[in-house]
Amino acid sequence: MHPVVERRRCLHRLVQVGAWLALGAPGVASAAGPVFELPELMALLARQRSGEARFTELRHVQGLDQPLEASGTLSFAAPDRFSRQTLKPRPESMVVEGNTLTIQRSGRSRSFALDATPELVALVEAVRGTLTGNAQTLTRYFRTTLAGSADKWTLDLVPADSRLAGQVRSVRIAGQQGALYSIEMLLVGGDRSVMSIEPLPASASASAPVRP
Amino acid sequence: MRPATPWPHRRAWIVLTLWLAGMLAGGALIARTGFSTDLSAFLPARPDARQRVLIEQLQNGVAARTLLVGIDGGDAAQRAQASRTLAAALSDSGRFDQVQNGDRSPGSGEWAAAGTWLVEHRYQLSPAVTPERFSVSGLRDAIDETLSLLGTPAGNAVKPLLERDPTGEMQRIAESLIPASAPRSEEGVWVARTAPRALLLLTTHAAGADLDGQADTVAQVERAFAPLAAQGLTLQLSGAPVFAVHSRAQIEQEAIQLALVGSLVMGGLLLLAFASLPALAVALLPVATGIVAGIAAVSVGFGTVHGFTLAFGSTLIGEAVDYAIYYLIQARGAAAPGGGWQRWLKDNWPTVRLGLLTSVCGFAALAFSGFPGLAQLGVFSMAGLTGAALATRFVLPVLVPDGAAGRGLRQSMGRWAGAVLRRLPRLRVAFFLLGAAALLLLATRSEPLWRGSLSSLSPVPPAALALAEQLRADLGADTARTLVVATGADPQAALRAAEAAGQRLDALVAQGLLAGYESPARLLPSVATQRARQAALPEAAELRERLLQATAGGPLKPARLEPFIAEVQQARGMTPVERAALDGNPLASAVDALMLPRRDGGWSALIALQPGPTELGAERLRAALEGLGGLEVVDIGLELNSLYGSYLQEAFLQALLGAAAVLLLLALSLRSLPRLFAVCLPLALAVLLTLAGLALLDVALGILHLVGLLLVVAVGSNYALFFDQIQNTPAHDAAAVPALVSDDTLASLLLANLTTVASFGLIALSDIPALSAIGRVVAPGALLALLLAAACSRPLRLERAA
Repeated sequence: MHPVVERRRCLHRLVQVGAWLALGAPGVASAAGPVFELPELMALLARQRSGEARFTELRHVQGLDQPLEASGTLSFAAPDRFSRQTLKPRPESMVVEGNTLTIQRSGRSRSFALDATPELVALVEAVRGTLTGNAQTLTRYFRTTLAGSADKWTLDLVPADSRLAGQVRSVRIAGQQGALYSIEMLLVGGDRSVMSIEPLPASASASAPVRP
Repeated sequence: MRPATPWPHRRAWIVLTLWLAGMLAGGALIARTGFSTDLSAFLPARPDARQRVLIEQLQNGVAARTLLVGIDGGDAAQRAQASRTLAAALSDSGRFDQVQNGDRSPGSGEWAAAGTWLVEHRYQLSPAVTPERFSVSGLRDAIDETLSLLGTPAGNAVKPLLERDPTGEMQRIAESLIPASAPRSEEGVWVARTAPRALLLLTTHAAGADLDGQADTVAQVERAFAPLAAQGLTLQLSGAPVFAVHSRAQIEQEAIQLALVGSLVMGGLLLLAFASLPALAVALLPVATGIVAGIAAVSVGFGTVHGFTLAFGSTLIGEAVDYAIYYLIQARGAAAPGGGWQRWLKDNWPTVRLGLLTSVCGFAALAFSGFPGLAQLGVFSMAGLTGAALATRFVLPVLVPDGAAGRGLRQSMGRWAGAVLRRLPRLRVAFFLLGAAALLLLATRSEPLWRGSLSSLSPVPPAALALAEQLRADLGADTARTLVVATGADPQAALRAAEAAGQRLDALVAQGLLAGYESPARLLPSVATQRARQAALPEAAELRERLLQATAGGPLKPARLEPFIAEVQQARGMTPVERAALDGNPLASAVDALMLPRRDGGWSALIALQPGPTELGAERLRAALEGLGGLEVVDIGLELNSLYGSYLQEAFLQALLGAAAVLLLLALSLRSLPRLFAVCLPLALAVLLTLAGLALLDVALGILHLVGLLLVVAVGSNYALFFDQIQNTPAHDAAAVPALVSDDTLASLLLANLTTVASFGLIALSDIPALSAIGRVVAPGALLALLLAAACSRPLRLERAA
């Protein structure tokens, strides 16, 4: 990162902490500068038209001795395609394109119409809407809460759709500028998954075919 | 009636009594006859194996029982509510095997029961159950696969069953049952993607061929919707049952309408010509006789009369009335009162008889058709024309011995006819040139002339078809274009054949050549397959031991899997499920839709293929299924077209045979090559010009156009024979009453032609494509036949004696 930016961010943080300490109350951070709002985040996110990332996922499932771990790659191409290729522990793939979801597991491939299952649409749009910076889509399916600044933001999504709310309690997406760092999902039964995302350099995404 | 001598008097009474008795008997027969309007008339009577599948599908397949319902108007919530209300009302009516609106609310207890049943029998139903899957490594792999879903929203479905089903057999079963193309869901019910509309898919209990049952069912839906319509919502109802029911109503309505309008037009023409009500009444007698004879004959020959035959029957009015017209006009002007009929019998009846025989010859060819629809037309026309001619020959002389009394416009009609027809010979060269041009046009056409398809016979309007197409696309209920049909002596044999085919199809699905397929063996595997799966399940102790190794180091404690071990143990001893086990289960209708009893006592299991990105041809499918027994690949569109093709080919052959028979008959009775040529030339020219006209209008010709051409020959031969008669009447006869004979004969020909052209002209305007096709050929063809017959005759003979 650019040293100047880095220094300015540290200063910014210091000022924030100082103000917070001085006033002894939370929520005053906003006084330190203009509030970071959803449209700004969306504008940042919308700049990224495609990308590829590596992910590591830890799923904490009630009743299992250890968390389940998975890793692989994610890729995304505006406006409506993204895929998740799990490489470990078992090769699996999930590709969403338009209204079609294709899942490949254990050598079998199945395609489904997304809109036949509205809760699936909501879930896909949570990811797709964030990646494309589509505020309209996000607010249609979720109640959104944005915290932090452009340099470190977290976006909380709580399903508005009752069907999805019956399964997913909340989704928390964290990122910096136009990049996502993690997606955390809290399920209704108490299970939780945390996905850490590490963007691959643009050259890698350019060389990797976006479409199969 | 003038006083008659005792013998003819008695003879008259005998004739009338016989005629009346015949009419009564015919009427009684008709009263007991069943009328049908289904597709059966257009399907072969002796189908081959593939055609039989097709026919079973058309008559009773699930597509023939599927109603597509759309609810328009209001807002989304209102439509969703209406969808639930309608679904509930229809489910309760008992008229449906399935009522689906996509509602997955917990209220639908029936489906919960189905789910429980599937869970209970999962080790018999899951395609994954093999000995390898229950080995240590197989178990580890299966458990890992199941665990990979946990902690995701999809895991919510898996988690409650984890301890009973760690290998995910339910997942595998669900995966094979969930269709790839499901409708969009909104507010918990199915909705259209293309319009603000809620959707339902109904499977009627009534068979596709049971039109009364289907009509009741359609009415039931409309009744159930009435309260919703009051709320401002509109019902869109479509699907094969609706088409069938509406077509029947349409055919019935048109048959009545055509008969009424036809009779009125005919009556008007006759009144104009004769200006006498008694003459009109008498003229209609042969018509009535012909219609009764035609229907009665079809009833005797086929058991039922198709509505299409009836609607067609109204055209017979136009032809049958010709005989009466000939008689009423030609029997006039007798030297002695009461003797007109005798002269008619001597001079004109032989010509009428020959005309009748040629018509009958033409239609006899159709009567032997392998397609009941055509055969009925043939029998109906033969019996009808014969009946009308016999009534003219025997009954009319009794009632009106001297022909029609009134003169009306007939005299001027005769003059006009004479003026026109006598000028025509001068145009014969022009007609010949026209004929040559027509020949050239037909010979040099690049596009095939005979390219009508079976769908061109369908009376369903394009807008209704478009709505059906749209609803079907939104419901993902595309009627399967390609079917693999597995047959066997009993359901088990059919299922085994379906399973063998399924293994080959799985390979095609894995290669991406097929999107998927639906097979009854998925929900109801053969007993052999179920036994093999049960045999793959290890004993409790053995399974426990293997699980210990398979879960070692994993996140799932083997101690939690005791319910799994117990249920596997239980599954080992279960009786294999057969169809009876599904009674009362909503899954039953899914199996029944694909398992059909055959007429020969055997069973068919249908495998409906969902095409992949590119259509896999029937040939490649057959190659993929090579070596397996009891399987037929049926491409429905292709098969229907080939059916129509063979239908057309057969009709061509029959038309040719009919034409040959007509030629032979004419040759035998005329006994003169020049006369035969003179009679045939105008007929051939009329057919040629009609064909060229249709080609110019770019009409796709089909079987019914061919039938129409046959009719042109049948009707036209009468005209040609009359001109032959006029020209070959011995000179002394012509000298006796020269002007009258010519003019009145010409008037009768013109009037007969007018009635024919009028009745077929009416049919040409029909909304039923099959009827309008015939009308559009015969109306111009018959007119041409008269004009050409006049044009081709030698001018001198037509000259009016001064």
